[in-house]
Amino acid sequence: MVNRQSSNLEGIMDNEIIFETQNLTKQFGALVAVDSVSIKVRKNSLHAIIGPNGAGKTTFFNLLSGNIEPTSGKVIFKGRDITHQPVHRTIHYGIGRSFQITNIFPNLTVFENIRLAAQALGRDNFKFWQAASQFKNYAERTLDVIEKVGLKDRVHTLARTLPHGDQRKLELGMILAPDPEVLLLDEPTAGMASEQVPELIELIQGIQKAGNKTVMLVEHNMNVVMSVSDQITVMHQGKVLAEGTPSEIAANKEVQTAYLGGLYELNV
Amino acid sequence: MKNFFISHRGSLLTLLGLILLPFLVGLLNGASPADVFVNGNGQSKFIQGLAIEIFILTIYALSFDVIFGITGLLSFGHSMFFAVGAYLTGIAIKSFGLSLPATLGWLVVASVVQALLFGLVLPRVKGITFALVTLGLGSVFHILVMSSEFGEYTGADVGLQGVIVPAFISPATERLRFYFVALTVMVLIYLLYQRFVNSPTGRVCVAIRENEGRAQMLGYNTFYFKLSALLLSSLTAALAGFLHTLYQPIVSPNTAGLGYTVTALLILLIGGVGTLNGAFVGAIVFRLLDYGLRRYIGESASFINGAIYVLFVLFIPYGIVGTWRLKSLQIKQGWERLLKMFG
Repeated sequence: MVNRQSSNLEGIMDNEIIFETQNLTKQFGALVAVDSVSIKVRKNSLHAIIGPNGAGKTTFFNLLSGNIEPTSGKVIFKGRDITHQPVHRTIHYGIGRSFQITNIFPNLTVFENIRLAAQALGRDNFKFWQAASQFKNYAERTLDVIEKVGLKDRVHTLARTLPHGDQRKLELGMILAPDPEVLLLDEPTAGMASEQVPELIELIQGIQKAGNKTVMLVEHNMNVVMSVSDQITVMHQGKVLAEGTPSEIAANKEVQTAYLGGLYELNV
Repeated sequence: MKNFFISHRGSLLTLLGLILLPFLVGLLNGASPADVFVNGNGQSKFIQGLAIEIFILTIYALSFDVIFGITGLLSFGHSMFFAVGAYLTGIAIKSFGLSLPATLGWLVVASVVQALLFGLVLPRVKGITFALVTLGLGSVFHILVMSSEFGEYTGADVGLQGVIVPAFISPATERLRFYFVALTVMVLIYLLYQRFVNSPTGRVCVAIRENEGRAQMLGYNTFYFKLSALLLSSLTAALAGFLHTLYQPIVSPNTAGLGYTVTALLILLIGGVGTLNGAFVGAIVFRLLDYGLRRYIGESASFINGAIYVLFVLFIPYGIVGTWRLKSLQIKQGWERLLKMFG
């Protein structure tokens, strides 16, 4: 089964693969949350992971970003084995990660939230004798990012007082600040009002196209997934059920029964 | 430059007041500044003593603020940081006859070692578990200084007594000099802390307090930041202990107990946790309340003291400085809204 899915990617040169997992497995006691998942993610693509609740999508992301360690298998990023790297290292390799539940510094300003993200990868973290405001490069980067995610008029607002949609944008900004090559976005539109969704999706697409970035996306909104993805991996009960382009996935019988099954009207 | 004076007017006025305090008190009692300077004046000397105690408490409370208020680590063994400084100073001078610079050298070594000791448990325990483990570490130290095995050095449960303070800084004969030394140390520590909090390192410490998981995911190895806060705290608290021993000059085993950690916590709760300025404001209120109640009410003072603190926490949960900042921000925002309405 697993072998069949990777067939789509045969013939692609290895140097075009930025992210790869080999038989990645995570067990929580008796529960196998992620079961021997092997996928390849092409550079500069928008790769969506979909599947019903409990399919193991978020756990899979946690394994990729180093938030948790796998039971077995490998995570390879740009040809380098990062399986056992802790989360504070993986970002230094160029992996940015967002969360299903908004994860920001609630009592700090928008500026400080993003400035901290920009400062993280520099070499000035232990210069305790200098004021943080003296490091202009981080401040400039911060303002750039704030403009990019569209929070320009909210620079000095406390993060917790932002409306939910803006908090999602802020979180996106915190991932963008260190300029990662791969963005792992876990349900970026979760909890957003439906009229705000297109705006955020446009933002994500714009970032991916303009900056030559690879985006991996977990998303429940099928219309979004079908319209923006280059490649889709469908997970079901911890396993990869299918993989392919949006039209291939929409036509797949197994996916229809296991997941989409009448719940979504697909107009592909 | 002008902006500097305006934006720091509160701190500068406070500093000016503290420099003039001994002479103003002297004037009120009919002693000229020259009298105060040369002979010392009874009332002025007494007030200086009270102020010195407040300065030492401020330094101690600041050392707790950097780990608790800034970095969000609740340590219940904090009094150990102070007591190590206090005891080591006493023992170095009394039992080994060391000079003050040599004593300070040993203090630095001991502070680093104990910060690393606390640091050992840092990656393993978080939150309330860290509080309990540090409570354990502090209690072990408390038992050690109370035990008769080391009584020769520590004075066991009686405390360390008979420390001969070098004459040039003796609080008995050179009170005014001691006053200015303690004031200078407090101001320098305060400035260092202001800089630390606003430095790249301090900003990350604040981020750890707010959301440690997120800080890690931004790429910070939070262990090193928490350890640097502990190191700074340990060095500062030991310095407070050093001044404490020179001023008193006895060391009670109570300084190693849980009660002394609670003292730091109370001072911060009164002044405002994580505000730095709150340490000074809190220390003034704490010391004066304690002194005033003991003097005018007597033994039942601690009961009333406790009741006052409960009311404090209920009515001013952000502390004096914290509430002040909150209110002045709200008032400022209110004015801005009002001006917007008309402009």
